[in-house]
Amino acid sequence: MKIAMLVLPLLLILIIWVVYSYNSLIRLNISADEAFAQIEVQLKRRADLIPNLVETVKGYATHEKSTLDAVISARAKATSATGITDVAAADGQLTTALRGLLAVAESYPDLKASANFLSLQEELSTTENKVAFARQFYNDTVRSLNQAVKTFPSSLFVGMAKVSARAFYEVENPADRNVPNVKF
Amino acid sequence: MTASSLNFRKLQDSNRRKTFGLLAGMGALVWLVVFAAMTYLGKSTTLIVPVAVGFALISVWGSYYFSDSLVMTMTGAKIIEREDHPDLFNLIEEVCIASGLKLPKVAIVNDPAPNAFATGRNPDHAVIAFTTRILEIMDRDELQGVIAHEMSHVANRDTLVSAVAATTAGAIAILSDMMTRMMIFGGMSDRDDRDNNQNPFAIVISLLVLILAPIAALLLKSAISRKRESLADATAVAFTRNPAGLRRALEALAADTTVVRQRSNAVAHIWIESPLDGKSVSKLFSTHPPLEERIAILRNMESNPL
Repeated sequence: MKIAMLVLPLLLILIIWVVYSYNSLIRLNISADEAFAQIEVQLKRRADLIPNLVETVKGYATHEKSTLDAVISARAKATSATGITDVAAADGQLTTALRGLLAVAESYPDLKASANFLSLQEELSTTENKVAFARQFYNDTVRSLNQAVKTFPSSLFVGMAKVSARAFYEVENPADRNVPNVKF
Repeated sequence: MTASSLNFRKLQDSNRRKTFGLLAGMGALVWLVVFAAMTYLGKSTTLIVPVAVGFALISVWGSYYFSDSLVMTMTGAKIIEREDHPDLFNLIEEVCIASGLKLPKVAIVNDPAPNAFATGRNPDHAVIAFTTRILEIMDRDELQGVIAHEMSHVANRDTLVSAVAATTAGAIAILSDMMTRMMIFGGMSDRDDRDNNQNPFAIVISLLVLILAPIAALLLKSAISRKRESLADATAVAFTRNPAGLRRALEALAADTTVVRQRSNAVAHIWIESPLDGKSVSKLFSTHPPLEERIAILRNMESNPL
């Protein structure tokens, strides 16, 4: 009887601790899924903006065919990419191509002054920021997940919860990840 | 903390620890007041403790639970929709993605002073509000910093923290007020059960505790509020990774001398820049750290990324 009094509370504490550790691993894993989905949502938004942007720039900057083609092909690659490494690589290329296009736009005053371009500019800068913040949030979540997966005692439940450490979302230029404020 | 080790993660940890310490200090103060009351007026006086705490709870928790609608009325803030200000909503959505928080309700206060605040009992009921002036004078990065600061208050549940602090400070004020009245008007029946062999020294100390406790509680409450402001600045940087934006925003607030036309001082503590700055007796009683100090910390973070 006395032994039962001692063992039962200890057992209860043990069970609560196991449930808690298991659940927090699962929760982190779901957060990482959600965070990745958010990146894809924002990438999709950006891809949807591009045709409009390309049309607008085409009307003014007729001699920039190569820059425009780079954006179009990067967009095509980005929309068809699957899996985190491919998505990240295509995302990086498109970011670079877009920067090139906006740099080109600088030398066409008529284009810069057009109402269509101005409203696109705000849409693009907010989208670029959203993409960057979504990447950052995903990487922060993965950081917590990996920490839980690799450190004791939460690492004990990794097999049971069927979660594993994940890869960070790295765009081509790693410095891009923490520079969400794109200036056009 | 040495200047070179300043980054937002360490600052967040340090401010959280300090809030916890201060709240523990509040708890200790309540205990001290109860102990002093027992020493001075006898054991039966402990009955008034639940009464005092009950009063404080009733007076504070209503305003906590309905903080969103209450603060909106007191500041004259009006809810706006995306169509009213698409660029502002773009920025808020950015910060929401960075923080993983839901999109809050957004409000505008028609006021010639640049300022902003956040309220609401939890992230689901959050409201962030901006004066018309702050939207005019700030550029994209600055406004993003301000939004991140306000969303940090939502993420850190500062409405709850300040409600807890206000409740405890309120309970202490009520307790010590009741005690002092009982002393002045003679403790009635309590006199009988006071120990006869009381140490006079202990009685004097108890009296001092009862008189000074409300001031100490007020000091602790202000200190907690200041820590939450510093924490919100650090968390804002965690969201945007751009200390320069918030730093320039605070500099713009410091440069502007107009003050929000408040209908009530009761909500002074929720603004990003305190409307009572300079009015407070000393730094110890102010609800916000000085702007210069906040600017200096952010400037330091700019040279210490991550």
